Amino acid sequence: MARTAFSRWWLLAGASAGALALCSASASRALGARAEPEEISVFAAASLADALAEVGRAWEKASGYRAVFNFGASSDLSRQIRSGAPADVFFSADTTQMDALEREGLVRASDRQDLLSNTLVVIVPAASGATVAGPRDLAAFKTIAVADPQAVPAGVYARSWLEGLGLWTELAPRVVPTLHVRAALAAVESENAEAGIVYRTDAAASKRARIAFEVARGQGPPIRYPVAPLVRSTRRAASAFVAYLRSPEARAVFTRHGFLVLGGE
Amino acid sequence: MASSCSEASSLLTREELEIVGFSLATAAGATLLILPLGVLAALALARYRGPGKGALETLLSLPLVLPPTAVGLVLLEALGRRSPLGGWLAGHGLELVFTWKAVVLAMAVMSFPLLVRSARTAFEEVDPRLVGLARTLGCGPLAAFRRVTLPLAWRGLLAGVVLAFSRALGEFGATVMIAGNIPGRTQTLALAIFHDNQLGKDDRALVLAAVTTALAFVALWTAEWFTRRRSRRIAA
Amino acid sequence: MIEIDLELALASYTLRVAARLESGVTAVMGPSGAGKTSLLEAIAGLRRGTRGRVALDGQLLLDSAHGRSLPPEARRVGYVPQDAGLFPHLTAHANVRFGARADASAVASAIATLEIDRLLERFPASLSGGEKQRVALARALATRPRLLLLDEPLAALDVGLRERILPYLLRVRDEWKTPVLYVTHNVGEALALSRRMLLLRDGRVEADGAPFELLATPAMASAAEPGVENLFSGRVRAHDVEGGVTILDLASGQGITVPLAAALTPGSAVTVAVRAEDVIVARRAPEGLSARNLFEVRIAALTRAGADVTLRCAPQDGEGTLEWIVRVTPSAAASLGLAVGQVAYLAVKSHSVRLV
Repeated sequence: MARTAFSRWWLLAGASAGALALCSASASRALGARAEPEEISVFAAASLADALAEVGRAWEKASGYRAVFNFGASSDLSRQIRSGAPADVFFSADTTQMDALEREGLVRASDRQDLLSNTLVVIVPAASGATVAGPRDLAAFKTIAVADPQAVPAGVYARSWLEGLGLWTELAPRVVPTLHVRAALAAVESENAEAGIVYRTDAAASKRARIAFEVARGQGPPIRYPVAPLVRSTRRAASAFVAYLRSPEARAVFTRHGFLVLGGE
Repeated sequence: MASSCSEASSLLTREELEIVGFSLATAAGATLLILPLGVLAALALARYRGPGKGALETLLSLPLVLPPTAVGLVLLEALGRRSPLGGWLAGHGLELVFTWKAVVLAMAVMSFPLLVRSARTAFEEVDPRLVGLARTLGCGPLAAFRRVTLPLAWRGLLAGVVLAFSRALGEFGATVMIAGNIPGRTQTLALAIFHDNQLGKDDRALVLAAVTTALAFVALWTAEWFTRRRSRRIAA
Repeated sequence: MIEIDLELALASYTLRVAARLESGVTAVMGPSGAGKTSLLEAIAGLRRGTRGRVALDGQLLLDSAHGRSLPPEARRVGYVPQDAGLFPHLTAHANVRFGARADASAVASAIATLEIDRLLERFPASLSGGEKQRVALARALATRPRLLLLDEPLAALDVGLRERILPYLLRVRDEWKTPVLYVTHNVGEALALSRRMLLLRDGRVEADGAPFELLATPAMASAAEPGVENLFSGRVRAHDVEGGVTILDLASGQGITVPLAAALTPGSAVTVAVRAEDVIVARRAPEGLSARNLFEVRIAALTRAGADVTLRCAPQDGEGTLEWIVRVTPSAAASLGLAVGQVAYLAVKSHSVRLV
C-alpha cells in the first residue's frame, strides 16, 4: 500500500514540475516577444566574424534590434539555408553561393548587393622564418592549409588563382583542406600546417601568423562578398540590417578590419 | 563474390573504392597496433587487485564516453607541431598531424577501450585457478598464458578485436581533428560521407553510407558469431 | 622431509604454520576457513606475500629472509584441487601430459597407476567426477613431483565414488612414495591414509600428531562423516563358489573373507575397506559366530572421541602393520572393561568387508 502511494507521489511531483516548466517557458516567450528587441539571424562567411560582430553591436545600440550571427563556410551556410535553416540575412564570401540561393528563389536578385571585397594572402606561422617571394615558393612547403578548395569561397579563390598560374596540379598534393578559412588560419597558427592561403583580413587579425606574400589586386580572381535578406524572412529588421551595412559607420568598421568596401551596387 | 565485386566497382567510383580500401587498411592497422597493449591491459584488469586499479579502469574507458572531438583535441594538443612531443617527432622526420598516421592513431585511441573491455571479459571467464595449476605443472607465466588462458579466451578476444575494428572503421570526430579531411590522403569512409554532404553530393554520400553499413554489419555479425560459440567451451 | 615455517596474511587472520613432516601422508584437517587451502597454495608458491621458510629435502622453496622464493613452476610440487581443475580445452591425455615435458615413462606410470587408459581421448566435460579426479591425480604425478598437495580430492564425490578412488590414493602412497599433504574433512580417510595429522584452526596449528591420538580433540570428534577407517591392500587367494565367499590375502599375511566376487581372478590385487563401527569386539575368543573373520589383537590405544569410544588394535602376533580402528559405544566399552594392553578379539562379517 505504502509503495503505491510513494510511486503516485513521484508521478504527481513529476507532472507538476513539467507543467510548471511549460508554463514558465511559454510565459517567458510571450514576455520576450514584448520585452526583448527583435532578433534577426545572420548567416555570414567566417572571414567576416570579427568585423561583423562589431557592426552588429553598433547596430544594436543604434536601432535596438539584435543580430545573432552564425559564422561558417559560405558553402556550408548556403546548404543549410537551402535545407530550411531559419536565416534572415545571408552574407556570403562569393557570388556562387548567393547564386545558389537565388536559383531556388530564396533571395531576390533585386535585394542582392555586392558589398565588400578582400585580398588573398599566403601566411606562415609567426615563428617561421620562411620567405615567399612569389607563388612558386609555395612548392617549398609540405603542408598548405586552404579552406576546402572544392566549395568554400576562400579555397575556390585560392585554387582559381593557382590554376591561373598553372601551379595548381603541382601544389594540390600539399593542400590540407579545412572546414573554412578561419580553420585554415588556425592550422597555420598551431604550426600544424607550414603555410596557408587566407584573406588578408584574417591574417591581420592574427598574432601567431604573419603574411608572407600578398596577392596583388588584379592578379587573383575577383573577390566579391554579396549580402541579401532572405525572401521568407518575416522580420522587418532584416532589411534594416542590410541597409545599415551600407552606412558610413559600418563601412568604417569594415575598412578598419582590412576589407575593401565596394561603392554602390 | 566476384560478381558482387564488379557490381561494387560499377556502383563506386575509383576514388571511392580507394577510400574503402584506405578505411579498411587504416582500421586494420589501428586494430593491430592496439592489440598487444590492449591484451596486456585486459590481463592486468582481469587478474590484479591493487591500489589504483579503479583509476586505471576509468582512464582506459574514457575514450568510450568522451566526445570523439574532445579526444581528438587532446591528441592534437599532445602531438601537434607546437607540442614538445610533436616537435620532437617532426624533428626526426615523423610528421603525424594531417597524415594517414594520424588516422591510424585516432582510430587506435578510440577503439582501444572496446578491445580492452571485450578482452577483459574473455580473460575473466577463464578460471584463474587453472592458470595457477598450470604454474604448478611447470609453466612460467608466459607459457601459462599461451597454453591455458589464450586457448580458453581466444574466441572472446577475437570478438573484441572485430568490435574494435568496426569502431575504428566508423571513427570520425577524433580523426577529423587530428588528420583532417584530405581527399586521397586521410579521407576515410566516415569523413567522405561528411564531405560529400558538405559539397551537396548527397547521393554519393548515401552510397558510401550504405557501404559503411554493410561493412559494419558483417563485422558485428562475425563478432556475435564468435561470442556465441565461446560459451560452449567455458562450461567444461 | 618437508620443513615448513611460513606466515601468510589472510583476510581475517594471519596463517602461521610451522611443522617438520616426514615422508608419507600427512593429513590436514580443520573447520572451513581454517586456512587449509591457503596453506597448500602457499607451499605451491601460488600465494604472494608468503613469508618464512619452506624446504623440501633440504632444497629451499621459500626463504623470504634472504629474499628467495622459487616460482611455482620451479618447485616441483604437484597440486590437485577439490574439483580436479582439468583444462577443459584438452583431452584427458593432453591434461596428463601437460607438465611432463619429455618424461614419457612418468606419464605412462601415472596412467597405469590411476587406470585411466580408456579415458585418454575424452574431454573433461564428458568425464564423471571420479574419473576427473583420477586424471587430475595422474596429471600431477606425471611431473614426478617431490611433494603432492591434495586439497580435499574426494570432497566433491559421493560416498560410493570416494571409496573407489581410495585404492588409487593408497597406490600413490605406496608405489610412488611421494610425500603427500592431504587436506580432508573426513576423519576416516585421514585415519586410513595418514600417519601424521595437522589440525588447523584460524590459521594456526591447533594440534599435531598421529591421527589416532588426535581423535579425542573436539575438531575431530565433530566431523561425523561416514568414513572408512580400515583400508587394506590384498590379493585374491581363491574363490569358494559353494560357500559363496572369496578369500583374500592381506599384506600382513592374514586372510580375510568377503562375499563371493567371482569376477576377480586369483592373484589380482584388491583393496578392502571396513568401517570402524562394523567391527565387533570380544574379550574372549568367540565361538559359533556367523562372522567369518576373526582376528586376535592387542588394544594399542583407546580414546573417547565424541559419543563413541575408538580403539586402535594391533595384531597380536605382531605380523605386518595391520592395525584395526574399531568403534564401540561407551556402554559396551565399559561393560567389557576394555583397556589398553588387553588382548581382544575382533569379529567382522564378510558382508562388512567391502571391496573398493
